[in-house]
Amino acid sequence: MSLDQAFRVTSILLAAVSFITLFLESHLPGWLTFLTGVALILALVRVTESNSDSSPETRTGLPTAVWNILVILGFFGFLVDSLMSGELLPAGVRFLLVLMVIKLFNLRCFRDYLHLHVISVVVMLAAAALGADVWYFLLFLVYLFVGVWTLLLLGITKQLEDPDTPAPALASQRETRGSYDRVTSQVFQLANGLALFVFGVTLLLFFALPRLQGGFYQNGQGAAIRTAGFSDAVDLGSIGPIKRDPRVVMRVEPSGRAPDGKGRLYLRGIAFDHYDGRSWVNQLSRRRVVRETGPGLFALNGSQGERGRPERPSLQLKIFLEPLDTPVLFGAPFMEAVSGNLPAVQVDVNGSFYLSRPSATPVEYVAVSKSTAVLPADLQPSPVVYHEAFLRHFIQIPARSDRIAALARTVVGQERTPYGQAMAIQDHLARNYRYSLEIPRAEQANPLEEFLFNRKTGYCEHYATAMVIMLRTLGVPARLVTGFLATEWNEYGNYYVVRQQDAHAWVEVHLPHSGWIVMDPTPPSEDIGDVISPWQGWASMVDHIRLLWNRVVVQFSAADQLAIVRGVQIGSATIGQKVWGPTSRWFPPPTSWQERIVDLYDRSTTGILAAGFIAILTGLCLFMWLGWKRSRYRRFFTKASVQNDRHAVAKLYTDMILYLSSKGVQKPANTGPLQFLDTIRTQWTGAFPLATTITELYCRERFGRARLTSDEYTVAQNKLDRLMSLTREQDGETEKTGAGNGI
Amino acid sequence: MMNPTETIRSIQNNIAQVIKGKPAAVEMTVVCLLARGHLLLEDVPGVGKTTLAHSLARSLDCSFKRIQFTSDLLPSDIVGVSIFNRQKQAFEFMPGPIFANIVLADEINRTTPKTQSSLLEAMSEAQISVDNQTYPLGQPFMVIATQNPAEYHGTFPLPESQLDRFLMKLRLGYPMPEEEKKVLERTPSLHPAEELRPIVTAQDVLDLQAQADNIFMDESLTDYLLSIVQATRQSELLALGVSTRGALALNRATKALALARGRTYCLPDDIRELAPIVLSHRVMVARAQGLRSRGFEQAESIIRDIVDSVPVPV
Repeated sequence: MSLDQAFRVTSILLAAVSFITLFLESHLPGWLTFLTGVALILALVRVTESNSDSSPETRTGLPTAVWNILVILGFFGFLVDSLMSGELLPAGVRFLLVLMVIKLFNLRCFRDYLHLHVISVVVMLAAAALGADVWYFLLFLVYLFVGVWTLLLLGITKQLEDPDTPAPALASQRETRGSYDRVTSQVFQLANGLALFVFGVTLLLFFALPRLQGGFYQNGQGAAIRTAGFSDAVDLGSIGPIKRDPRVVMRVEPSGRAPDGKGRLYLRGIAFDHYDGRSWVNQLSRRRVVRETGPGLFALNGSQGERGRPERPSLQLKIFLEPLDTPVLFGAPFMEAVSGNLPAVQVDVNGSFYLSRPSATPVEYVAVSKSTAVLPADLQPSPVVYHEAFLRHFIQIPARSDRIAALARTVVGQERTPYGQAMAIQDHLARNYRYSLEIPRAEQANPLEEFLFNRKTGYCEHYATAMVIMLRTLGVPARLVTGFLATEWNEYGNYYVVRQQDAHAWVEVHLPHSGWIVMDPTPPSEDIGDVISPWQGWASMVDHIRLLWNRVVVQFSAADQLAIVRGVQIGSATIGQKVWGPTSRWFPPPTSWQERIVDLYDRSTTGILAAGFIAILTGLCLFMWLGWKRSRYRRFFTKASVQNDRHAVAKLYTDMILYLSSKGVQKPANTGPLQFLDTIRTQWTGAFPLATTITELYCRERFGRARLTSDEYTVAQNKLDRLMSLTREQDGETEKTGAGNGI
Repeated sequence: MMNPTETIRSIQNNIAQVIKGKPAAVEMTVVCLLARGHLLLEDVPGVGKTTLAHSLARSLDCSFKRIQFTSDLLPSDIVGVSIFNRQKQAFEFMPGPIFANIVLADEINRTTPKTQSSLLEAMSEAQISVDNQTYPLGQPFMVIATQNPAEYHGTFPLPESQLDRFLMKLRLGYPMPEEEKKVLERTPSLHPAEELRPIVTAQDVLDLQAQADNIFMDESLTDYLLSIVQATRQSELLALGVSTRGALALNRATKALALARGRTYCLPDDIRELAPIVLSHRVMVARAQGLRSRGFEQAESIIRDIVDSVPVPV
């Protein structure tokens, strides 16, 4: 088998393999299956039978215009099809197969084979998008082998022959290169070896490379936003420096009830139980894994000693978390479940949720929380005995806190209930202390006493720490919580924008009956005035667009896709009922299709789906680009490049003149190209055929305004190379013509 | 219509059935037609000048008139005359023989300058004026004039300014012996040109002319053409160089030749080939000696030398 013929055969095999894959992966209509099968067999028979010496595939009876019209009809069919079925992908697949059939009947020149390759790639990708069964893997292996073969043969044949050289020249080439243009066992082994190698490398990459999702490399670990207050140990005063950082940390979209947009939303990060006088430590940071109770749903069992309470309203927050340097998952207090496309979720004893490691990409999840209300029982004094281990953690105070204890006792006065005491302390702190960020982060021995007794100014951390310690000296269990206090409402997208400067610390107090409640002694800050700048509305709109981009494009997940598919399905079903209702007797409703596709969507994994979708788009773009490249209108768009390399062949022609003059065939300055060709014919007959081709191409390019294709340029190049390899006998008339010049 | 090149080739082949052994002259005649030009054939009597014109006209499905120029020919014999019509009580214009697509002006130098100029005006304007009335001539319109250089008694040689109106000046020359033999062996039943069948219609000719206008000439070739023209003006051997009309004529002829050769673009070779034919009757030789025909031959060789001195763009 000659290389040329082998190339044609493998090209059609490539299309056949992709078709079989598609056939197995999806349910194709019978007529299309039959048509494609017949077209493939016919093309294969024609290619294997046709003698490669004769110019192939000139037998197609219909002119090009008819085929073009068929393609356009096919496209309209695709539009109608997609409207009728409401499914873009299957309709696209059917259109692809129609295109493939048309191409198969229409394999005239080299480019048609390239088009066939592109179609087969797209079909393969479509098959991947429609399903991922194990036979896909096997067929993909076959496809890979055939593909390597095709590419190899493509390279070899392109090298060996000039695509526009007529058959006789090919035949004479064969005389000189006979040993190369057959598929020898060496070529066979080489191709299969290459295919194996490619497959091996692919497998290696498949397991070695991390899965990419979103802009993995655009935002490396180092670029994550540095937060403060969310590690296991936090120095007092560490939040202060970031309180002026306006970078967005997350966006929070309350779902369910219509949000009013006003008010403050606490986003709980982690809680701390141990204070050593200088810094807070989370001694209860041992995390356990939250089991995945549903797809993407990580819920606590609700066994946190809260049985027997009345059911409280739950709050669902959809949170888009920027890449941070902490694995904490934020949510309104107190989080009970997290759902989202998360690898794993952990929770510690203090009720804080974590990822297993900080995410380098934005994270999107839904946090379900239930707030606590103070039960009436806690308003009456009642002796409660806490567990000893519980007390060890939550009424721990640092040494030498006597002054603080004394202050606490004066502040609470006659209040007996823990709730009353807490309220008293909260009021006292909020009223008598001044909020300020202007705190020198000095290395004080006891920053808390400094705050309470000397400076009397501070910010959230100081307030919260003071309240926790004061409560603890009174024997009320309390803990410090860090997180964010969201206040900035984006009215365009109806969500909260949370920035670094919204970092906050507050207090959780444990009441005997109600459990943990949230209290915040920090007065509303005065220096962060809400100055409405004219840019505010613009900025929030831009922020909203960025959020949309993140959601719709970067974080596009299978769930979103499915939602779209279902939406389109429902929409088209209603349209279809209106449009096709009267004609449904002739057109059976395509419900089986839809069910099957939705089913496939449900089962298939995210990556393949998204990749397949994008790849189909890419393939179609490539296909259109190839067509555009071929069209003559391209000239208008690439005028500049025409100017640039329009003299490419002129350069070759000059080289030829120089070479010929070195061989004694001079071109006087006053002779035109055709006249010089006559001179060559009389002086060096052997070079004449080669020079004819070069001169013709040169004239077309140089004087004829024509832009030569790269193929034609290659032809000229090859001819020149061969011309230069000829030897001229001085007796030019009797010289024999060289190989390949049988024109 | 067929491919323009094939059409042009079949016209040439048709003419070549009659005019044996002169493919170059036949080709140039057709090129002259395509370039909307007029042709001046100058040669000794009896080499087929009239037959060439006749066979061209027969090959086209066009009207053909022949005017034999004599010293007593009047302008009205060419353009026509207004005659009083008694029934209508008005003057009525009777068109002359110039109202034809192909006009053969035989022995043009035998008539008076007054008559010559009436023809030449029609040639350049493609219309004639009689009694303050303007009558457009039919299209295509081509004048093929012949003149005999050997005999000068009783002739009125055309001045350079009027020769300029002709696109080309061709010489046929004697045929080769074998070709001449074929001419003699032909059965002398009819005038050979009468046997020819028309190949194309007048509309086809107009289409071909329009296509010739669309042939592309690269800017470098325009420069090349102009530098040849410039060289004729600077040559010491010529008293008068080529006019702008001459440059225009060469430009049009080059495009027509490219079309006839099956190209969509011109080549330097086209210009080189046409320059002697198109330019040499438009120049005045500085020191012409002997007969005018000698002068014309001199001009031709001077033009050739000038063309050879201008480098071809690469």
